[in-house]
Amino acid sequence: MSTAALAPSRLRAADLLRLGGVGMRTRRLRATLSALGIAIGIAAMVAVLGISQSSKAALLAQLDRLGTNLLTVSPGQTLGGDTAELPLAAPGMIRRIAPVQQVTSAGVTSASIYRNNHIDSANSGGLSVQAASLDLISTLGGTLHQGRWLDKATQKYPAVVLGSAAAAQLGVDKVGVKVWIGGISGKAGHWFSVIGILDPNVLTPDLDRAAFVGYPIAASLLGHDGHPSTVYLRADPDSVDAVESVLGATANPQNPNEVNVSRPSDALAARIAAKGAFTTLFLGLGAVALLVGGVGIANVMVIAVLERRSEIGLRRALGATKRHVWAQFLAESQVLSLLGGVAGVALGALVVAGYAANRGWAVQVPAVAVVGGIAAALVIGAIAGLYPAVRAARLSPTDALRTV
Amino acid sequence: MSDEVSAAGAADNGDGASMTLLARPVLELRAVRKVYPGPLEVLHGIDLEIRQGELVAIIGPSGSGKSTLLHIMGTLDRPSSGTVRLEGYDINRLRDRDLAALRARRIGFVFQQFFLLEGMSALDNVAGGLLYSGVPLAERRRRAAGVLRRVGLGNRLYQSPAKLSGGERQRVAIARALVTRPAVVFADEPTGNLDSASGLAILDLLHELNQEGTTIVVITHDRDVAAAMNREVHIRDGMIESDTMTREALV
Repeated sequence: MSTAALAPSRLRAADLLRLGGVGMRTRRLRATLSALGIAIGIAAMVAVLGISQSSKAALLAQLDRLGTNLLTVSPGQTLGGDTAELPLAAPGMIRRIAPVQQVTSAGVTSASIYRNNHIDSANSGGLSVQAASLDLISTLGGTLHQGRWLDKATQKYPAVVLGSAAAAQLGVDKVGVKVWIGGISGKAGHWFSVIGILDPNVLTPDLDRAAFVGYPIAASLLGHDGHPSTVYLRADPDSVDAVESVLGATANPQNPNEVNVSRPSDALAARIAAKGAFTTLFLGLGAVALLVGGVGIANVMVIAVLERRSEIGLRRALGATKRHVWAQFLAESQVLSLLGGVAGVALGALVVAGYAANRGWAVQVPAVAVVGGIAAALVIGAIAGLYPAVRAARLSPTDALRTV
Repeated sequence: MSDEVSAAGAADNGDGASMTLLARPVLELRAVRKVYPGPLEVLHGIDLEIRQGELVAIIGPSGSGKSTLLHIMGTLDRPSSGTVRLEGYDINRLRDRDLAALRARRIGFVFQQFFLLEGMSALDNVAGGLLYSGVPLAERRRRAAGVLRRVGLGNRLYQSPAKLSGGERQRVAIARALVTRPAVVFADEPTGNLDSASGLAILDLLHELNQEGTTIVVITHDRDVAAAMNREVHIRDGMIESDTMTREALV
């Protein structure tokens, strides 16, 4: 009769994993339902992070395409508080700044645009009619949805190109239609032919609500004095700041402080930065779903421990230590939540893909969402399973084997 | 060993307690008492020695303390006082995890309710007997298949327990107890849930296994089951009433 050291009870890691899957295999419906809560929570978080990242990426790509070197110069206010005017020579002066590559301008007329001549002139709908240089559209990087932009010929005739929002508001969906431009006190209105409709312009969205005619026709029919109301320019990307600092003095040497200079891409960049703000709310909602899912798993595990008393007793009789029993139930809880986590990541990625495809974005699911989602599932599984596992381990083998 | 057992068994006239068997003791209980809070004293000083190769029945009515005795002999519980030695290990000196190791490697259990796990085959149930010995799965299954063939279920390896008859389930449970080649197998009312024909077949199997060298202790309240064993230990009210060798241990 030896009393030599006894080889200890030992449960292999692979066997522990297999044990963790037993509950899942034998009670599929219950496992699925309890994993569902986690899946929904993780899916919500992955989807929110993925959609936000995809939309950010799409905006950044757009910003890259549009360039950040567009600057606008517009009149500010005089010291007296009246609206200032840009000098007629402003575009030409600006063109002489060395790093400036393109200069163009538009001048707001006092006319309004209407679907036809039966509409009360007070109902201008907030649309502006602007005299535009021929290179306005190329400088802005705008594109035509249909039709053509103004050219040397059409700028002298009653032809108009509509911004996207203006076209939609006027109910114009194809070129060739005639619209009524008038509303100037003491002057008769005129029919203008729509020769083009623009795509929405991200950098200068205010131009979406404008209708563009040539400078010559604006002068002859709409009483425009030729003063530009906004000068648009593209500068060498490396010298944008330098150009910005001298623009006021160049555009209006007499009154440099009556000039507003802005960089439209700044607004877009600010929008990209603001994208993160909303996601926090949705992430919070996802976290609540995760919490509820975790409670569901804890619930299922507590029930499993109650139901499987005799299994626990049997395992102790077969040589399982308390720790083995503890580890088995913890593993089971983790397997359940991991199942939910993986399903949730897949579901979330699917949602991102669908949403991005719908918006025409490139799909981007951040790695941190995938890794974080699965890690969160494991942590939740561990927390949810801890108490049931401790209870299972504390059960004395004799009590567990006593079938009631 | 077998020569010694048969010689000693034949020499004795039936009084198991005074046997001078030469086979080595597997289990020794000295003055074992068990008191539950209450206080309720369930066992009042049990002295019992079981030697290698024995086929022993512990018989007593319900409430006699035989289940408590089984739990203490099987190291599932500790005595309030007294000593229990299993294969020489004093269980009072062992930590819980050492007791678990003892159960994993040296003790087999067979229960009245079988306690087979649903959702896995007979083979994997039996292989589960080796789970806590750290034996790799393939080896566990190989050994389990061998033992299942030995108990006559070679054609039922992949059956789910739900599709087996009661007798077959108990054979699976017996195979699970044997797969570790334990020093002793404790069977708690092994025929309690079986019809008499299946019960007899299980008793025959226990006999055969005993003759192949397995030490078996059957706990029962059934006189017929006890009479089928080689030694009967009667307990009543937590004390051993009688301990008789009813049959010569023949090999």
